[in-house]
Amino acid sequence: MEQALGQAQAHWNAGHADQAERLCQHVLALWPGQSDALHLMGLMAHAYGNLDLAIDHLRKACLAPRVPAAFLSNLAEMCRQKGLLEEAERAARRAVTLENTLVAGWNNLGIILQEAGKLEESLHCLQRVAALQPGSPEAHNNLGNTLKRMGRLAEARRCYEAALALAPAYAEAFSNRANLLTELGVLDEALADARRAIDINPRLADAYINAGAAELAAGRYEQALRWADALANFAPLHVGAMVVKAKALSYLHRLDEALVEVRRAVASLPDNGEAQNALGEVLQARGNTAEALAAFERSALALGFAPEKALLNRASLLMELGERDKAEQAFDALLARFPRAAGAWFNFSDLHRFTAPDDPALAAMEALLAPDGVQVLSDRIALGFALAKAWMDLGEPERAFAYLDEANRSKRATFSYDSAATDQWMASIATAFSAEAMARPRAEVAGSEAALFVLGMPRSGTSLVEQILASHPQVFGAGELADIHHLTQCGLSYPAGASQLPLETEAALGRRYLESLRTRAGSHAYMVDKMPSNFFHAGFINRILPGARIIHVRRNPVDTCLSCYSKLFTREQLFAYDQTELGLFYRAYERLMAHWRAVLPADRFFEIEYEELVADLEGCVRRLLAFCGLAWSPACLDFHQTRRLVRTASVNQVRQPLFNSSVGRWKPYARQLGPLLAALGVEGVEGKPVEASRIA
Amino acid sequence: MNAAPINLAAVEPQLRALLAAGRGAEVEAWIKPHLAGGSGPAPLWLLLAHALRVQGRAAESLPIQQMVADQMPGDLAVRFDLAETRLLLGDFERGWREYAFRYSLPHTSRIERKVQKPRWDGRPIPGKTLLIHDEQGYGDTFQFMRMVAWAKARSQARVVFDVNRETAGLASRMQGHDAITLRGDLPPAFDFHCELMSLPMIMGLKLADLPGEPVPYLQALPERRALWRERLAPYPGMKVAFLWAGRPSHPNDGNRSMTLEMLKPLAQAGVSLFSIQKGPAEAQALTPPPGMPVVSLSADIRDFEDTAAILCEVDLLISIDSSPVHLAGALGRPAWVLLPFLPDWRWLLNRDDTPWYPSTRLFRQREWGGWGETVERVAAALAEAGQRL
Repeated sequence: MEQALGQAQAHWNAGHADQAERLCQHVLALWPGQSDALHLMGLMAHAYGNLDLAIDHLRKACLAPRVPAAFLSNLAEMCRQKGLLEEAERAARRAVTLENTLVAGWNNLGIILQEAGKLEESLHCLQRVAALQPGSPEAHNNLGNTLKRMGRLAEARRCYEAALALAPAYAEAFSNRANLLTELGVLDEALADARRAIDINPRLADAYINAGAAELAAGRYEQALRWADALANFAPLHVGAMVVKAKALSYLHRLDEALVEVRRAVASLPDNGEAQNALGEVLQARGNTAEALAAFERSALALGFAPEKALLNRASLLMELGERDKAEQAFDALLARFPRAAGAWFNFSDLHRFTAPDDPALAAMEALLAPDGVQVLSDRIALGFALAKAWMDLGEPERAFAYLDEANRSKRATFSYDSAATDQWMASIATAFSAEAMARPRAEVAGSEAALFVLGMPRSGTSLVEQILASHPQVFGAGELADIHHLTQCGLSYPAGASQLPLETEAALGRRYLESLRTRAGSHAYMVDKMPSNFFHAGFINRILPGARIIHVRRNPVDTCLSCYSKLFTREQLFAYDQTELGLFYRAYERLMAHWRAVLPADRFFEIEYEELVADLEGCVRRLLAFCGLAWSPACLDFHQTRRLVRTASVNQVRQPLFNSSVGRWKPYARQLGPLLAALGVEGVEGKPVEASRIA
Repeated sequence: MNAAPINLAAVEPQLRALLAAGRGAEVEAWIKPHLAGGSGPAPLWLLLAHALRVQGRAAESLPIQQMVADQMPGDLAVRFDLAETRLLLGDFERGWREYAFRYSLPHTSRIERKVQKPRWDGRPIPGKTLLIHDEQGYGDTFQFMRMVAWAKARSQARVVFDVNRETAGLASRMQGHDAITLRGDLPPAFDFHCELMSLPMIMGLKLADLPGEPVPYLQALPERRALWRERLAPYPGMKVAFLWAGRPSHPNDGNRSMTLEMLKPLAQAGVSLFSIQKGPAEAQALTPPPGMPVVSLSADIRDFEDTAAILCEVDLLISIDSSPVHLAGALGRPAWVLLPFLPDWRWLLNRDDTPWYPSTRLFRQREWGGWGETVERVAAALAEAGQRL
């Protein structure tokens, strides 16, 4: 028997699975349950990709009263691969209890604890492994993973580098470093590492996910989709691939496809917290808030790292719903459990009004930005914006802008943006939708009078105007819709081609828009689409929806731009993170709007000054309703009472009655706004820089 | 404007049938409009690449295959096809890298030998034991076993060559290993392993390294040679061994094999033809076409030792692409090889010699399935050689 087992092992070493299996079967026929034979059968099943059978063999092998610790350690690792974390942890703990010097046992236990989120203990195990085996690249890599999950990114990076120094073709270490570099915002290097990992091992699923994540972070959504598809090509049920794909599709406003993708992910692994969280995000983007909350709550119960994200998403959604108290409670609970959750601090700061410099939240946020604080770039950026907001509340422009400039600079470094190309694009729209093109006869599009468009610069008051309109009983506020953008993208070669379409094509496009909107609007007679960036497309809108009313909201240029600059947008506003680029964008916008003013029919185009609205709410609202053909409704003046979802950076402002603190807000900051004022061609107050003064 | 969307699943079998019949131009013409916009589904691009190869346009196929591989690096079947194209075009460096995916295909992943020791990475490992194991066909083993000695020199290891039973005798007399074990038998303990055909990638084999030292690297058994010398002695003139069909289960057998009758132009005055065909086709030699005298040796060939001895005792081997060609090359014996229009990657393109074997001459089809014209050229060369003899 001894000899047969020895030969079986030797045959398996030499890759002779058949001979090894025959010998094992022979032993098991004589001695059913012989644990060495079962163990070897399990290892072979594992090597041939049959994880269930392997675990089955190993469990039986581990029933022996004198089971070697190594068998338990192998069972633990296989259970981990199967996602059976509790059984894995039990087996690994038995292994190291039996044999305290079993390095593989400590290693496996360390990885299991890492996945289970027990990071301190994991660190202890893996540090032990690295100390016992300083020449093992795997030991350094595994230790790096735990450190990364603890937020100790610099140490984690050193571990990956140690692993790669020992094994220069170590695909997993490249892939893990890619993930870390994405968190540090070093996106090109991250992508290069992920590519190297795939080059070495084209079937390393994590490397594709990390490549996709780097592309997402850089705003290259199509590229992220490509990585997800490349992974799905050989691993069609990989949850991570589906999650990356859903995220990319959401960013591309392809929400129907995104929903299909996350539903597949959830169906494939219902207990996966990442999949549930992604489902919640897509549902939220589609406006299915109740379902979204439920998905976030399911995700919050999962093991691992999804709960923090899910709880943050849930709290933010409550905030968007106007559930201020519940949202604040949710952020408090989240921060109690995850005190380093930068996203929670960011939203908390937006909800909270800072009145004293000794506010403990301020100290907590500043500590997180200190050198030993959080290291994930997106977290540092969010904290920078949050702290800037706090110091603006406290009337300290210099301190506020120290944070704000740094946060904007960091954000700006993560993507590429070409000011001149944007200028050209806007000019080409004005050329295409010329006075002549706009003067052509218009199509008849029944029902197009029901469409109201509120557009303008972000942060100019479009959310407020929509909220006022949506408070009217006959009006449905549809939020920021990507529908017009999509219509311009469907093969029209926009703008030049789209400005010369046959009447029937224009009418068909208009009907498509109305049908899609009608399903959301229910019985309301009017529907508001307040995508601010529809200002690009005002001419196109007028061509395909001749009855639609276009409402342009204007606000003082410097106030608008300051507001953009001091906000971290959830969706991309690439022009908003550099004062000069912001000013240039504003000028191009002004030129395009001047064009629309000249070529749009006066009875379809209306302009509201934000400052006037603040000064004379009722008068403005009356004029607005009259332009829309709506009867007077007092509900429009109590707009902050209206309960509905608001999904923009203005979320916490539309809930407040109007204050004119937003008018002329920029003046105390004139000294900090030099590049913006220069780009806008605006001088400081009365031509000279203004001393910063405290806002009451 | 792109052509109407196509139902690829429905048309693919028809396109594949056309490709199998060498009708690449028709498939190309059918596909091109669907890809005119510059984008289309990957399977369609791959069919186009295949259609180009079938027309002998491997260089045009390459960028398409590379594009799809870049798009889907995890599709290892695509990577393996790319390996074959690169090797066919003589790009050894990148070709061998992609060739590493040969056991990652749906039909090959289970036949990979899962050795539980690390793979040798090309670095010196003095004092260690390196197990080199052969794989795939006999021709591959004959062709690549020359690298065992090179691996020993590079690794400075004790080298155990684990080889199939049929070629083990010839391998055992080759220089450059410390022990031979038969495939399936328990080898001695070892520290590292390497598949025979992973050696080119690991050692960075370049075209310029071929044929390498020593050539010939295999030797026939003197006693077998004596037996066969005696057996062949009565036949006059130029002695030519030949065969016309490969192992029928080979994936490309339809293109590489022919029938005895097609080789009738080899029947020439002053030439004695000896069939060394093995397998189902060997019976054809018993009823050769009228006017084609053939002596069949098949029944008396017990193993590759007999084949090797015959190849040493005849003047020439004429063969389709099959293992005796590699044996002749390894023995340094003259061989003429008839190749299909789209040959296996190891024969490269557009040349009538091969860097692998100095004594081998290639006769390529000039169009798909065009054996007749190829055989005519072989027959003409044979007549010329007979005159010189």
